[in-house]
Amino acid sequence: MSAEKKDYLLVDENGQGKPDKPWIFRTYAGHTNAKASNELYRKNLSKGQTGLSIAFDLPTQCGYSSDHEVSRPEIGKVGVPINSLEDFRILFDQIPIEEMNTSMTINGTSMWLLSLYVALAEERGVPLEKLNGTTQNDLIKEYLARGTYIYPPKDSMKIIVDMYEYCLHNIPKWNPSNICSYHLQEAGATPVQELSFALATAIAVLDAIKERNCFTSEEFEQCVGRISFFVNAGIRFVEEMCKMRAFSEMWEEITKDRYGVKTAKYRVFRYGVQVNSLGLTEEQPENNAWRILIEALGVTLSRNARCRALQLPAWNEALSLPRPWDQQWSLRLQQVLAYETDLLEYPDIFEGSKVIEGKVKALKEEAKLEIQKILDMGGALVAIENGYMKSQLVKSQTERLSKINSNELVIVGKNKWTDGIKSPLMTDSDGGIFKVDPKSAEQTLGVLSEVKGRRNAEVAKKSLEELKQAARDGKNLMPYSIACAKALITTGEWADALREVYGEYNPPTGVDGQKLFLSDDKVSTVRGKVEAFTKAHGHRPKIVVGKPGLDGHSNGAEMIAVSAKHSGFDVIYSGIRLSPEEIVQSAVEENANVIGLSILSGSHKEIAKQLFDELAHYKAKIPVVIGGIIPESDFEELKKMGIREIFTPKDYDLMSIMNKIIDIISVEPALV
Amino acid sequence: MIDSTETLSQLVSQALLGEKFPIAKIISKIETENNLDFRESLFHEIQSQKPNAKDGLTIGITGTPGAGKSSLLGELCRLFLNFAPDKKMAIVAIDPSSNVSGGSILGDRTRVTLPRRDTRIYFRSQPSQLELGGLNPYTYHVIRFLRKIFDYVFIETVGIGQNEISVSLVSDISFLVMQPLGGDQVQFMKSGIMEVPEAFIINKCDEESLANSSYYMLQSTLEFIKDILPDQSLPPIFKTSVTKRKGIEELLSYILHYPKRKDKNAETITQLMQWIRNEYGRFGIGIWEKMESNSWNKAVRLSPLGGIHKLNYEEEERKFVSLIQKQITS
Repeated sequence: MSAEKKDYLLVDENGQGKPDKPWIFRTYAGHTNAKASNELYRKNLSKGQTGLSIAFDLPTQCGYSSDHEVSRPEIGKVGVPINSLEDFRILFDQIPIEEMNTSMTINGTSMWLLSLYVALAEERGVPLEKLNGTTQNDLIKEYLARGTYIYPPKDSMKIIVDMYEYCLHNIPKWNPSNICSYHLQEAGATPVQELSFALATAIAVLDAIKERNCFTSEEFEQCVGRISFFVNAGIRFVEEMCKMRAFSEMWEEITKDRYGVKTAKYRVFRYGVQVNSLGLTEEQPENNAWRILIEALGVTLSRNARCRALQLPAWNEALSLPRPWDQQWSLRLQQVLAYETDLLEYPDIFEGSKVIEGKVKALKEEAKLEIQKILDMGGALVAIENGYMKSQLVKSQTERLSKINSNELVIVGKNKWTDGIKSPLMTDSDGGIFKVDPKSAEQTLGVLSEVKGRRNAEVAKKSLEELKQAARDGKNLMPYSIACAKALITTGEWADALREVYGEYNPPTGVDGQKLFLSDDKVSTVRGKVEAFTKAHGHRPKIVVGKPGLDGHSNGAEMIAVSAKHSGFDVIYSGIRLSPEEIVQSAVEENANVIGLSILSGSHKEIAKQLFDELAHYKAKIPVVIGGIIPESDFEELKKMGIREIFTPKDYDLMSIMNKIIDIISVEPALV
Repeated sequence: MIDSTETLSQLVSQALLGEKFPIAKIISKIETENNLDFRESLFHEIQSQKPNAKDGLTIGITGTPGAGKSSLLGELCRLFLNFAPDKKMAIVAIDPSSNVSGGSILGDRTRVTLPRRDTRIYFRSQPSQLELGGLNPYTYHVIRFLRKIFDYVFIETVGIGQNEISVSLVSDISFLVMQPLGGDQVQFMKSGIMEVPEAFIINKCDEESLANSSYYMLQSTLEFIKDILPDQSLPPIFKTSVTKRKGIEELLSYILHYPKRKDKNAETITQLMQWIRNEYGRFGIGIWEKMESNSWNKAVRLSPLGGIHKLNYEEEERKFVSLIQKQITS
């Protein structure tokens, strides 16, 4: 074999061709109940998937048991419901957890879910050293973008540090947290914001660990080595690839310079990816398949910054939950890329590229400035509490939407080349999407009440009391949580115990002072109608933007709040996780002209019903409009209930939405 | 919205019972331009339906953005429900955000979690209408209306400088909320604002030593002012922390037992003059002064039974308006 060949091909020590091992193939999955999810996992593993990525339902993520009133509309919808150890026994039935790499996408209740996993392992006699996986546990991105936080920032950070301390000594292969910038991009983050906010978050975690001073310096190095990242890859794949290279280089620098990590392997930027879902379109959804492929290239092409694990959304995710077939299709894309192409046979193909080098340098420089800004403020926790990071994201998102609205940003099938033939993929009897059987929640509730009846009530009570006391005393909560798991405590009971001690957090909404960058004819039409309304009624139109239920994806609500203000409305927006009762109370007390609901979790029918019941209580006839991922098949039922207008991701034009809303309220009777 | 099937008398009787939607509708109507006729009939209706209607204590809460006023109010509400079981409170939160479109985002409800369907607490947001944190032109009338229904009416405003003064004009007690070591003390002293509030709150006192040092700093600043105004006793200073749930009970108890009321006639005259100044400038003030100096006008204020006759704002406004119309047409 010639030396020349060795330069551009990957070879082993004998000069034989030796391609890289592929990344871990995952699908983010879970739905209905523990039993159905267990079947799904076992099927996926048999199809060549190499790791588990568990999606939990919203009540589990927010720390409510399935029998809590706010849980009812959400059980099993966006993930699997887990109430107690019994559900984990069912979920991992016939799955050897000692051989799995299990990723749990859970944040506010991550300590609880890890405790359940530990309790399950101990019950099965699996040594904890063999457990391998990740709990996401990134609360900062929850405050910023996804909304499944429970406790205030400082207490949440304390819980994270508890987990690092416990894991390093007991489950050394576990990643206690995973810095997740994925949702930041979903919420509109630019590559620089994704880089800087994620790294600032990692710095906040490491600083908190340093402050606890619970590790020797060797242990601290190992601890740095356990930090992993979960990122997003968007459609501008060259820039995204450069972002990944910048991430790797910056992490190397931070761990070396700020934390003095000497061992090279602990400075490696280890990351998993789910590619962008925000950019997927409801219009011509088949185009999403190509977007997903291109986004996957951004994180796999570059050997020096290749992802460790990848999960891809399904082509139809902008419509509703994907079917098993759709997930299989996404998995096959990864397998084609890794095994059919020659991608893994080469060293880094971009080494020496001036373009790539220049772009990486530029991204790094900007991100460094931004990180410094956050550190000067007092770090990521302060930048959460004072609303800085949130308002920056809302700003980027409004800019992005303004560009889509003005066609400056082309989205094929959405604002350009919108005419097309309807996709044959959508014509199956199920309409191309998956719906959770509403009756399936019964099974979950059955297990829950059976467990509560069976457990030793005294042991359960004692374990909860000890957890609370430990929290008050500032002790490490892991052992107490594991004891709760073994005592068959429920998710809601665990979270409530800590709510009692820490309180519940309500972060800034980030919408104050935001501006849209739109000033076309549509804007002046809407503003004209708003002025006419103001003249006729003597005051500005008032809208309550409500984000009910446990779904914390607040981008839609924020954009509507900002657009309504841009149009001249007085806007009442109080953030996420409100009950229909709270939203109606606001609308009544403020005498709003219209209520706008934003619901993405699929619970729109249940929530709309609760809302109209509450309006009836006050004898208030306030028009209601709704926006979210709502299948057309539900439109008629919603309209029958009294919903005046329904907006879906297809209605991306903010001013057309505002135009419809002002038209609705303009025909309402005026004041006497 | 008030629909045409409802009469004012129905709305008022429901509102006086504390029903939220009628209260909300009336406030919207007060917040409407050219509302003199409506106000007149509204207060007349209230007077005839319930001559002894309440006259709630008005509490102004103001301070720089970020001083934690809304969270503090949220905690006050929570405690109020436990500590004052027979009393009712209303909050008017004035939000400074507004922009070219004239629209606004009113986000202060965010920090106040209110119990559901409880008629003992009522929360209303108000855009400041470009007056950057100060009162909006309708605030005074909304507060006058709410006083008839609620035992306590809180007004929350944002700002530093002259805005505190306008809040203190309509409140019986006004609090200035500060953060520990915010450097606010010096700023406030410079702007001459320290004399205005009746009481001070150092909020976010999460840490004992920082709280105490701020407390003593503020105290000595106030003592310095006291030297200038020798008759004035030192105003109380509260140290509060929402996260540690400290000092808020004391604050609430102070409010619940606050004995003094400000002179409502003085309040009426000040508000009227402020309105005249906004609407008609110095020209208007001149006419007002002429009207005030009219000896008949002075005499009419004195009740036949002795003492001062309570001024009716709308009546005074109408008198002034007709006077100014005469001036213009003559």
